Amino acid sequence: MLRQDTAAAVLEEALTTGGDFAEIFLEDRRNNLMTMRSGRIDTATSNRLHGAGVRIYSGVSSVYVYTNDTSRDGLISCARRAAAAIHDDNETFRTGFADTERPDNHIIMELPGKVSGQRRAEKLRAADAVLKTYPEVVQGVISYSDSEQRVWIANSEGLFKNDLRVYSRLSVNAVASDGTENQTGHCSPGAMQGFEIFDRTVDPEMCAHQAARIAVTMLHAPLCPSGTMPVVIDKGFGGVIFHEACGHSLEATSVAPGNSEFAGKLGLRIASEKVTAIDDGTIPNEWGSENIDDEGNEPTRLVLIEKGILKNYMIDRLNARKMGMGVTGSGRRQGYMYAPTSRMRNTYIAAGEDSEAEMIATMGDGLYCRSMGGGSVDPSTGKFNFAVEEGYLVRGGRIVQPVRGASLIGRGSEILMKIDRVGRDMQMAQGMCGSLSGSVPTNVGQPMIRVTSLTVGGAR
Amino acid sequence: MDEYIEKLMKAAAEKGISEAEVYLADSDSFRAMCQQGSISNYTVNSTKGLSLRGIVNGRMGYAATEAFDDESVDQLVTAVIESAELSEEEGTAEIYPGDADYPDVNNYKEELDLVTPQEKLDYILAAEKNLLSGDDRIKAATYNMISTASAGVRIVNSRGLDLSTRDNYCVTFLNALAKDGSKTASAGVLKAGRTFDPENARLSAEEAREKALFMLDAEPVPTGEYRTIFDPYAMSDLLSVFSVIFSAENAQQNMSLLKDKEGQVIASDKVTLIDDPLLPGGFATRGFDDEGVRTCTREIVRDGVFVTLLHNLKTARKAGVSSTGNAHKGSYSAPVRVAPSNFFFKPGEKSLEQLMEDMGSGLVITEVSGLHAGANTVSGDFSLIAEGYTVTDGKKDRPVDRITVAGNFYRLLQAVRAVGNDLVFPGSSVGSPSVDVGELRIAGK
Repeated sequence: MLRQDTAAAVLEEALTTGGDFAEIFLEDRRNNLMTMRSGRIDTATSNRLHGAGVRIYSGVSSVYVYTNDTSRDGLISCARRAAAAIHDDNETFRTGFADTERPDNHIIMELPGKVSGQRRAEKLRAADAVLKTYPEVVQGVISYSDSEQRVWIANSEGLFKNDLRVYSRLSVNAVASDGTENQTGHCSPGAMQGFEIFDRTVDPEMCAHQAARIAVTMLHAPLCPSGTMPVVIDKGFGGVIFHEACGHSLEATSVAPGNSEFAGKLGLRIASEKVTAIDDGTIPNEWGSENIDDEGNEPTRLVLIEKGILKNYMIDRLNARKMGMGVTGSGRRQGYMYAPTSRMRNTYIAAGEDSEAEMIATMGDGLYCRSMGGGSVDPSTGKFNFAVEEGYLVRGGRIVQPVRGASLIGRGSEILMKIDRVGRDMQMAQGMCGSLSGSVPTNVGQPMIRVTSLTVGGAR
Repeated sequence: MDEYIEKLMKAAAEKGISEAEVYLADSDSFRAMCQQGSISNYTVNSTKGLSLRGIVNGRMGYAATEAFDDESVDQLVTAVIESAELSEEEGTAEIYPGDADYPDVNNYKEELDLVTPQEKLDYILAAEKNLLSGDDRIKAATYNMISTASAGVRIVNSRGLDLSTRDNYCVTFLNALAKDGSKTASAGVLKAGRTFDPENARLSAEEAREKALFMLDAEPVPTGEYRTIFDPYAMSDLLSVFSVIFSAENAQQNMSLLKDKEGQVIASDKVTLIDDPLLPGGFATRGFDDEGVRTCTREIVRDGVFVTLLHNLKTARKAGVSSTGNAHKGSYSAPVRVAPSNFFFKPGEKSLEQLMEDMGSGLVITEVSGLHAGANTVSGDFSLIAEGYTVTDGKKDRPVDRITVAGNFYRLLQAVRAVGNDLVFPGSSVGSPSVDVGELRIAGK
């Protein structure tokens, strides 16, 4: 843990060379991972991450130094090394720590660290038993991971807060094979919850059925045709389309230097009027939620796009300085090895008013993406791609057959304008998002949507 | 750390861990980025991580820590015992006593550790300045980074093994954004090596500028089948992702279609794939693997014939063969798995220009992205966003982007028509020359 007197000494050391803001972030984290392959538990590991990072600003320049040595001397030495990279003439004095309570919006019932290995193993066995009922499924890799992350954050403006973040996640990967071809399916739900996740949110058997169904369906699917066509993307993980095509370009990391295609467009139309998009860190116990962000800021519910009009960017402390705007509770990082920056939390397209049946019936010939894989984007150009895990060919408004190996590519600004249907039932799904400040848990989400035309990459 | 390791091994033995091994990794690294003439990111680290694995009743348990207090000794030992008790993998756990001798490999260059932070900052400031001073259409260096690291690994076990190694490296990345009217293009240049070369600030800028300006006029090609060459950068990325199919662990778990295919033809006779842990200056050059087994150079595919899977001790014991020295830990805390060392297509005779002439018309792919999502290593299917240029009458013609290239890696190996002579390792331990892969499906306009 971090003591207030240690934090005070570290921050004072950090400001000795003219920095105008200093922060210390200390983390103690326990991760457990249990993996079952071929019906046997082959690894059960536990890992303790422990370290701290000191950050100093001088104007819009930032220095970050981190270490595992969290003794008082170790931390002061860390601050000294950070200060050595600053040469400025600011005279900044540390403000005394205010008595700041953090909100506790995400109640944890059963800390995963207290759960026996055998109880965790039972959940994996339940999923494995389901996979065994599918004759074509030749391999299952099932894992359960949990994490208890304790953080202490103090800064020279008087902030001193601590937080406990608890995450649990099940992951089922199924491989179906006919001897010459392999196909895969996966399902990996998670939440900011303890072991109660299995009572409240996640059913290992359902999860296994879903992974197996996708793998087996795709094993019998012909290759997807390629070309430009209308595309319907189903609810849930389909929201990765918004995450990649638009979300990253609304992070201050790419907006502040003017590299984003949405820089300078606040108040302007960037999407069809069907589209309202939200980034929300406050939803209780969701995968991307927070009590405080990794800079100690309060969480927010942020409207990014309202009926097609750009309303807000996601902004961290450093970029707030660069942009002359306020922080939005978006400062996140994987852990002490990273300085925080603006990141997404639970980011989704809000529910609309269109019927799911109608949007397929009136789409003509195209692709229905029931389940999506991951994707990536270059925020400077907005070019994105993502993989379709489970796709179906649509002919004359009717779903005719599953197809495999498809991917969707395009440009964020184009696809947003081409969304012409938004369904009524919004669902979220879990992912790990990688960017400048490491890998952080984020939710993607959307109702079923339709895009009037997209480039589909397929092997046929 | 000697004292800590000693205390830990003693506690492990006392608590009934019959054989134990410590894997210690330390790293000192520096990273800086610059934007618009000022340093936007400056990160310095000094970290250590240790993992303990040990055998209890014939089963292997794992635990790891970054805290080195007395409490952590008990935690590690208790966690290893719990982990071993949960494991259902029997009869394959092994702690290695070591080999008689090891190849002499030196990856550590002291000069690199002596480069000062100011010299590194000057490098990225110069790179940005060089980039922006050539052409008005170059609007920004959207990513301009230098990173250096010095990292050590030590393996100590209860069977008398005590090995250590240290290496250091320098990586720079410069990404140029070009704009002309409504057209935008971005292009990145990565340089990685074991030396710090200030001259790269100019070379990277020129390469990034030239590539971004060329890509400004890029258009998709019409959807269809195209004769395709992957240049060394695109092919290295593809090979890197699909290198896991050569892992015996993946094969034994039905995650690779190369299971039981040793001795069979799996690729065109133009294909020879080499795993060379002794490659001078390579990013995975090492005299011993992550279990302490000595390494050696070997052909994995020879003239299209599949020679061997890559093994660690556990997979080798299951298969009744010897370890190939390919035990790999993704980080100090990760369990031991299997990975290639320096892995590459053996170069052929012809240059990329000659390959293009032989092809006549088609595409050269220079970049593939979205590999973590668009490449399925279990099925071999890939569908990736790509860019490159068209080839007309055997010559480089028009820039191409916003296309996808789709196919199956197993079939691609069989379809290889020619392998070029221009072997490159673009910033990692996986490398390739240009490869003519025959016809592939391209989706564009």
